[in-house]
Amino acid sequence: MGLKKLFLRMATIGLGIGLMTSAALAANLRVLAWDGYADADWVKDFTAATGIGVDVVFIGSDDEIWAKIKGSEGQDFDVFAVNTAQLQRYIKADLVSPIDVTKLANQKEVLPRFRDLTAVSGVTKDGKVYGIPFCFDSIGLIYDTDKVKPAPTSMSVLWDPAYKGKVLAYDNGEHNFSFTALTLGYKDPFNLNEEQMAAVKAKLVELKRNVLSFYTTADEAQQIYQNNDVALIWANYGQQQVKALQKIGAHVAYVNPSEGALAWLDNWVISKGVRDNAAAEKWIDFMLSKKVSGALSERTGFGNTVVESSSAGGNDKLVWLNNVEDPLKRSDMWNEVKATP
Amino acid sequence: MSKADSTLPAERRLSLLVTVLAFALPVIFVLVPLAIFLGYSFFSVDQGTIVYGLSLGNYARFFTDPVFLPVFWNTIVLCVSVAIICILLAYPAAYFLTTLKGRWRYALLMLLLVPLLMSYVIKIYAIRSILGLNGFLNKALVALGILQEPSTLFVFNMNAILLTLTLLLIPFAVLPIFLSLERIPQVLLRASDDLGASGLQTFLRITLPLSLPGVASAASFVFVLAIGDFLTPQMVGGISGFTFGRILYSQFGTAYNWPFGAALSVALAVVVIAAILIGERFGRNRGISV
Repeated sequence: MGLKKLFLRMATIGLGIGLMTSAALAANLRVLAWDGYADADWVKDFTAATGIGVDVVFIGSDDEIWAKIKGSEGQDFDVFAVNTAQLQRYIKADLVSPIDVTKLANQKEVLPRFRDLTAVSGVTKDGKVYGIPFCFDSIGLIYDTDKVKPAPTSMSVLWDPAYKGKVLAYDNGEHNFSFTALTLGYKDPFNLNEEQMAAVKAKLVELKRNVLSFYTTADEAQQIYQNNDVALIWANYGQQQVKALQKIGAHVAYVNPSEGALAWLDNWVISKGVRDNAAAEKWIDFMLSKKVSGALSERTGFGNTVVESSSAGGNDKLVWLNNVEDPLKRSDMWNEVKATP
Repeated sequence: MSKADSTLPAERRLSLLVTVLAFALPVIFVLVPLAIFLGYSFFSVDQGTIVYGLSLGNYARFFTDPVFLPVFWNTIVLCVSVAIICILLAYPAAYFLTTLKGRWRYALLMLLLVPLLMSYVIKIYAIRSILGLNGFLNKALVALGILQEPSTLFVFNMNAILLTLTLLLIPFAVLPIFLSLERIPQVLLRASDDLGASGLQTFLRITLPLSLPGVASAASFVFVLAIGDFLTPQMVGGISGFTFGRILYSQFGTAYNWPFGAALSVALAVVVIAAILIGERFGRNRGISV
């Protein structure tokens, strides 16, 4: 009996708190973002400048964003951050609303490569803009400046027999097929035909024979670097990885290959269930300010779309990640590559 | 009288509840998940979603695709090797422990088991930095003059997996062997001695046969733990150390092909169950019952 009462009381209190917080949230802008995209001091500045309160919910994976947005059909959030490869899925499911770019004053000041959004693959559909790019990082090449001379300009250096057993590659079929396709000069690395797939696979078997190991986490790559003779690292974690290596005293540099570097690009998007469109636009415009964008790069090491950063020079060719033709097939073929003696 | 009548059914009800729980828990938490798993292995995947139609396609693929069977076989060979090496190293250690007296015996046993308290991943990280080209092992071998220059023999290949798994799993081999050795009645050994047998004869004809059940269960323990491991091969296996566990892992992570992963797990489960049965059977035949 006592126990039942206790449960009842707990449930009532829980419900009460839930109601209270949702009432408090009613007027606020609801933002869903990765850690590092909506730091507390920016939120405070935004509220001070616009008078709009903000509630931020942080997420840890692409799947989690999908679950949260799809789960409420976009009703639970006003603005959220999503990458170009994922965005098309949200557009198709009718979970996001088009954005009026003319309302975003700061979008006119962004770096040249982001000025014409129709040229950024994945953020538009049928002429309408759905995502405003604000943060990116390239997947380039880290090389040991003492061991690799002259400085490499292409991923093809990973196949150079001079560095046999000194190459660290990344254990992921999707990315490996994409970057090898770029190295082979294929136009669309995310949509390969049978013949191209076979050629890429053969090339990856060659790569495997030149590689010391395939890593999965940045930490792991760093540890392998410290205990072995490593000259080249395919840098899945981009700038973060370079900075971590430099911190431990490694003589390394970073380059985006001339054939094009794969790169992820995160965008602010406005959900279908947005309560106050003007407030959402203000948030995006605020995030595109020089101050916030600069701070974002400084704090996370990622590139931003407003101020030049070390992720990519103005002339570097970046290839925004996109959905691949058949992830399952790539993963199976990657296993075949690994199983080839 | 009336008091007894009212408490008895309550007691009986309680014991009934405990009985039901005792059967229900394993069924709900072990058998049902396994059955669901088995069920999944007959489904398939189309465009990233699971198709709930029964087919033997996954099993056909396992047996016909040139990738899986060779890797499966290599993995079994690897894990049998790990089991054999573990036994060869653990037996002398366990034997030595049983020769110790009183408190020392258990203190040293505890020391041998201390590595089990550490996180698995941390141990692998530590071993990896020992095995690297600039790692402790290579540095030591060069310093001792055994090697001219660091060798790649133990760096990111099958050897590395073999060594790492052996190191990680030795405690699981020591314990059963130690227990079976400890259970051998001292009178048998004294009798053998009285009858004029040499130390070697006593060992070969009494100690060794009587400890075989422990050896068998140690071997099956180690084999089963080794074959189910994907983390160690993933972290120290590099490019040539590709094992079945890694294929399995990839089906659940990147490929999102749960049904095929389930079918591969069933194949693995068959081998594991066989290993356990062999271990148990072998253990029982030559048991202490002699």
